[in-house]
Amino acid sequence: MEKLSAIMLAPKRFAVHDGPGIRTTFFIKGCPLKCLWCHNPESISSAPQIAFIEHKCSNCAECAEVCAANAHIFENGRHIFHHKNCIQCMKCENVCSNKAMKIYGRKISVCEALQIALEDIDFYKESGGGVTLSGGEPLTQSEFTFALLAALKEKSIHTALDTCCFVQQEKLRQSLPLTDIFLVDFKHANPEMHRKLTGQSNEIIKQNLQFLSDNNAKIEIRIPLVPNCNTDNVNIHETGKFLSTLNIETVKLLSYHSMARSKYVSLNMPDTMPITAPPSNEMIAEISDILKSYGLNVKI
Amino acid sequence: MPCINYKKDEQYLVNKFRNPVFDPSTGMSNNELRDKMKEVAENFINQGLSRPEVKAACFKYICENMQIDVDPHDFFPMFGTWIKPLRPIGPLIIIWYDEMWEKQCKDIAEEYFKRNESGISTVLLDFDHSVPDWDVLLELGFPGLRDRAEEYREIHRKNGTLTQKAEDYFNGLKITATALIDTIGRFIDFAQQKYPDDPRIKAEIECLKHLQTGSPRNTYEALQFIYLYFMFGEYIDHFQVRSLGNLDRLLYPYYKRDLAEERFTYEDIRELLTHFLMQWGSINNYWGHPFYLGGTKADGTTEYNELSLIILDVFDKLSIPTPKIQLKIAKNTPHEIFEKACDMIRRGHNSIVFVSEDTIKHIMTHHGYTEEEARTCRISGCYEFGVYGKSNGTGAGNINLLKPIELIFNDGVEPLTGMKISCDALKLSQIKTFDDFLASYFEYIKEALEKIIYYANRTESQLGIINPANIFSLSCENSLETAKDAFFDGSVYCNSGISLTGIASVVDALMAVKKLVFEDKELTLSQFKEILAANWQGHEKLRQRILQSPLKYGNGIYEVDKYADIITSFIADFVHPHKNGRGGTYGVSGHCARSFILHGAKTGATPDGRAAGEEMSKNCSPVMGMDRKGVTAMINSMTTMQATNMPGDFPLDVMMHPATVKGEEGIMAMKALIYTFFAKHGHAIHFNIFDPETLVDAQKNPEKYTGLQIRVCGWNVHFTDLAKSEQDFYIKRAFNIVE
Repeated sequence: MEKLSAIMLAPKRFAVHDGPGIRTTFFIKGCPLKCLWCHNPESISSAPQIAFIEHKCSNCAECAEVCAANAHIFENGRHIFHHKNCIQCMKCENVCSNKAMKIYGRKISVCEALQIALEDIDFYKESGGGVTLSGGEPLTQSEFTFALLAALKEKSIHTALDTCCFVQQEKLRQSLPLTDIFLVDFKHANPEMHRKLTGQSNEIIKQNLQFLSDNNAKIEIRIPLVPNCNTDNVNIHETGKFLSTLNIETVKLLSYHSMARSKYVSLNMPDTMPITAPPSNEMIAEISDILKSYGLNVKI
Repeated sequence: MPCINYKKDEQYLVNKFRNPVFDPSTGMSNNELRDKMKEVAENFINQGLSRPEVKAACFKYICENMQIDVDPHDFFPMFGTWIKPLRPIGPLIIIWYDEMWEKQCKDIAEEYFKRNESGISTVLLDFDHSVPDWDVLLELGFPGLRDRAEEYREIHRKNGTLTQKAEDYFNGLKITATALIDTIGRFIDFAQQKYPDDPRIKAEIECLKHLQTGSPRNTYEALQFIYLYFMFGEYIDHFQVRSLGNLDRLLYPYYKRDLAEERFTYEDIRELLTHFLMQWGSINNYWGHPFYLGGTKADGTTEYNELSLIILDVFDKLSIPTPKIQLKIAKNTPHEIFEKACDMIRRGHNSIVFVSEDTIKHIMTHHGYTEEEARTCRISGCYEFGVYGKSNGTGAGNINLLKPIELIFNDGVEPLTGMKISCDALKLSQIKTFDDFLASYFEYIKEALEKIIYYANRTESQLGIINPANIFSLSCENSLETAKDAFFDGSVYCNSGISLTGIASVVDALMAVKKLVFEDKELTLSQFKEILAANWQGHEKLRQRILQSPLKYGNGIYEVDKYADIITSFIADFVHPHKNGRGGTYGVSGHCARSFILHGAKTGATPDGRAAGEEMSKNCSPVMGMDRKGVTAMINSMTTMQATNMPGDFPLDVMMHPATVKGEEGIMAMKALIYTFFAKHGHAIHFNIFDPETLVDAQKNPEKYTGLQIRVCGWNVHFTDLAKSEQDFYIKRAFNIVE
């Protein structure tokens, strides 16, 4: 079991907003949704990806020297990285001393992940924290996720599963005994709007939330507030109405920001991020009040 | 209580110590006094007075002749001796200091200064770390201190121990205390004459009149007393008063009584504290002036009280970088206090350091102090601790931990000065293994420490005759009992510190040598020598590769971090058994103040990828940007070292992005982080929490960010006051954190 591995982004230690206390968060690559505002676009694909961060490049052309696929072209003194040519040998990342080439996604085994997690065990104990498996969608590499959760539980480490819930219910069933808290995104109450914004309807998500609630799972709902996408009063009321039927511990409101936009460019992904300002404090307060009116414990 | 809105007083208070205006008829200006001092001092010396008497006579001369002022915008009088680098008594101390180099220390002078110049180490005469017993001071007041000293003179007379030296000592104290009390009279007379009808001045006169004849009875008198002692000590007697004390504990009885007896209202107390703290806000000493809050009572409950929160809140509202606050933290620390401080830090009001009571106990008891001495310890300077009222610690020396690396590569010839260092280190060509390299490193370290200790012993043994500490001695009972100078050898514990600079830099340098030379055999030592001598020119790729190497202190890698422990253990084992020149011992400190810049400027390129002249790592923190796994890994690295090896202090600097610690969770995480650090025997922790974009904007538009503070080491400065290169350094670091 411990030899199982997953493709992951770099783990985040001293994660403070991914469940209770001080935590280590593992970001497992691969996500079934494609939310327009995704601020971790590097987590959508389950495969490793290489990014070119142009402003860090010094045009030294060392990458071109080691590249066998002709992916690094220098034209008129400008470095152009052809993502399509790249065979992901990762040699350019090794030679780039300016860190202009960055790999998103490395294979990490359960054993390695556990070792990383254990390094901060004193901090978890003091803060009531633990480990969060996030993504992407951690249940896309479910065998690994179950194995890591089980290994963490064996060490009595608090576990959180940050899931979009667009997964087979069976996977949630299996994760139930291994997970202390589920962090579940809820992006839109309307199935059609949900499909427009994330690529999928929310019916499965709702069913799965109902399932978790029925099985007395501890649930924190996280709502990304993206103006012009999901912050209208109708949606907030619908969201409140639905969530109030479930056994939800807290509802956390997350403000949209567009800081991830440069990642889309560096990864050569189409930039889908909405062009909108973050929600104002007044808007957040109003949304919070509406959700509270449905008896929800809202945190900003 | 004639309180008016602080805002009306703000302009006066900000300028009080920056652009003071005196009535020339009140006396001589700061510079006139200083210019006259040599002549005045020589006159007293020629009269055959002893040194404590000469110093006291000069003190009296300044008290009688300095300009003075009071102002209706203020609760505290103004002294005409307000320019710290040009304190009027300085020329007297210079006479005796020069005499030391002409006579007692003539034989070591040349090498002493050359070694300081070389950047191998610095040895200093430190008059800047005295902390009085504030409890006794407040209990006795100025007349009580004078009378107590006279009572001890009589005891010595009866016991037959009143030698001529003791007589001289007591004469110095008497002249000083009398001059101090008489000066309060000068303030009163001037105030009565200048503002006969101003209600606030009347209150100030009443306060001063009482302090002339008795000890403080209320909050205002207590604050006035602390201010006056500080000014007389720091600005006239030339001894930095390195803590304003355990303010909440000290002031609480007065505060309670004032409220109960309706002498002052809650608002009055806030107003008084605002004015009190603004004295130091205006003084704006680069290093800041500390006071500390909290602690634990004998019954195990906390010393924090409602006044602690008021002091914190007043400080918060002022948003000034100094005075600076040390918070004693234990598990009994009230959440409200801890969380308020974390929130202040998060908002940039970060002139605050947390110190661990448990770690202090762990360290102090290990070194033979009692649990009671640890519980009641004073915090001084940046975060240093010591026995309250019975100790006097000096910062005697500082060792550059990177210099020995440079010496190995240069076969013991110091490149900057050409000085040849003699010790048992191997020549570069004789070094065959990493163990050889390490053994040579320790030979140079040992040589440097031996020299620091020798020079510090020789020069510190002259401390008492260069600058007799009359005011400080008045505060110290052991000094009176023994008739010995409290700053020199009259305190119970007269210890000296040796601080370390560049522990992380040297670990990284050793790792680079170990890997490239001895493991991968990519370079020979002589090739490495050439590369370093060329300051990496033509080898930038290698330098970048070394900088990118994961083998860096600060990432929780035991195989790397263990060398920090090996080095500090070696140093502690060598230093701690040594006796100093004042009857005390030496202790190692993990903080380096500004030496990481100063020593860095004098050190050539080093194998860690550092270019010549660049700064080194600060305190026990990783080299800037080399900690890539975040704050928890950094703490794990640092606490690989044993706190007991650094009884001076063992501090960590943390830099974070505001988003990391936003919200309620952020505060809880900061608290848990601090508690975990302390559980691992970390001693002190302080923070810089800012967004790089803010710093960039502040650099471009300084006028928008006049209040933006940066925590440098154990003190704060305004970001806009930093040189551009220093600003760039923090900006670069902040961007590193974001990534």
